[in-house]
Amino acid sequence: MILTRLTLANVRNYASLEFAPAPGLNVLIGANAQGKSNLLEAIGLLGTGKSFRTSRESEIVTTGLPTASVAGEAVVKPGPIRLSCTIALGAGGTRKRYTINGRGVRYATYLGKLRVVTFVPAHLQLVTGPPALRRALVNAALAQESAAYYAALASYGKHLAQKNALLRGLVAADEALLTTYNERLIESGTELILARRAFVTELEARASAIHHAWVGDVEGDLELLYAANVAVEVPTHDGVASAFAARLDEQRAAELVRKTSLVGPHRDDVEFRLGGRPLAAFGSQGQQRTAVLALKVAEYETLFAYGGEAPILLLDDVLSELDGERRAAFLRGVATVEQVFVTTTSEVDARAAATYRIEAAQLERVA
Amino acid sequence: MKDRVRLCSRCFSLTEDDPCAICTDERRDATLLCVVAEAKDIFALERTAAYRGRYHVLGGLISPMDGIGPAQLRVKELIERITREEPKEVIVATNPNAEGEATALYLSRLIGPSGVPVTRLAYGLPIGGDLDYADEITLAKALEGRRIL
Repeated sequence: MILTRLTLANVRNYASLEFAPAPGLNVLIGANAQGKSNLLEAIGLLGTGKSFRTSRESEIVTTGLPTASVAGEAVVKPGPIRLSCTIALGAGGTRKRYTINGRGVRYATYLGKLRVVTFVPAHLQLVTGPPALRRALVNAALAQESAAYYAALASYGKHLAQKNALLRGLVAADEALLTTYNERLIESGTELILARRAFVTELEARASAIHHAWVGDVEGDLELLYAANVAVEVPTHDGVASAFAARLDEQRAAELVRKTSLVGPHRDDVEFRLGGRPLAAFGSQGQQRTAVLALKVAEYETLFAYGGEAPILLLDDVLSELDGERRAAFLRGVATVEQVFVTTTSEVDARAAATYRIEAAQLERVA
Repeated sequence: MKDRVRLCSRCFSLTEDDPCAICTDERRDATLLCVVAEAKDIFALERTAAYRGRYHVLGGLISPMDGIGPAQLRVKELIERITREEPKEVIVATNPNAEGEATALYLSRLIGPSGVPVTRLAYGLPIGGDLDYADEITLAKALEGRRIL
């Protein structure tokens, strides 16, 4: 996939911007707070309809204005496509509208048309941070990949919130209603569990090979384990659904006492191991960082393989996190990607297809 | 005008006369009972002229997050009506969203022991629509609900 044109209106510090990115490596150089990350965020927003920096989307709209919009043209496998995402502030909160080729569409239809893989410094916490970070990575990748996954995720989230409200006693206790929510959770949750299991297996094979190519076998193999809250013994739809149902039954009394949902894929995790030992507890910072890099490259490759075409890669300020040698190796690898955007505060030694300087929301091509 | 409008004591639709014109219309099929969330949904279904049974208005959809449980809706009244009127089929016509779906399944669980079959509206494609433009989920649901020609 190649983004050929990007148009911003009232997006953070950009009053307006017309940008025609190049295929291959696009390097965006600028001092802090000039608009590098904002530009990357906008590309991410165009692709996923969500910001990778904030969940408060009103922040994206230039202060004092009612709407922000990101529009773009891209070349994807089926052909050229025009996309737009508009955020409007209103009395009832922010509203987003999506269009494909000028037609208004639902988010579920929009998502996945222009796939992106992002890498931001916060991802360096993936190994040691909370499980929610790792679930978010898996969800973001799979939701872009599959409309069915996104639908299951959205359904699961809604029914889970309702079940928790029931358990908290916002309405009178009702066994039949609790059972109804559990059945809904089993239906969507089973899809999530099976998709995550397959994805993590694929991710592990690739991350392990990449890791091996980088550091050899002195440290042992990098493993990624899908730590499913509902243990998967029979990896079929019926096998997972019945295991999930059994766990819900078993924990029903405990859920009522604790007033929250204790069982299900919302409690899943992915565990990193190096040489058979948990990386979060035993790894050095350098080892953890290398594992995250391998994971990110593996995520890119897996989405590439799943979708049959290269997603767009967004690297926000991650070069500064790497030492000289790793940075050079990383840039060499990245230069062969179909299209990648890299932000940096200083010149980089790379085979860039295009280099831009960003100053006060003005973009100037310098090479 | 406004103060003459009240709720029908049988179906809880909006009416000036109690029971409402639909409940008292003897030409309508008393063996079919269609459950809707709001009175306005009756108007939508009546416009189709395809349904000739009676209605029951729940007064909303189950949503514990908003403090709406079965006790806040006319669920008890529905069960009593089914016991009293013994319809041959209960059609749950709630919106195809998470709350509508949970409400429909909850009702079918409650009605189940009475032996009355519970059905729900099919998911599908808009008439005059284009397969190419349908979102994947609607299309998948339509495929699931396909029928023999």
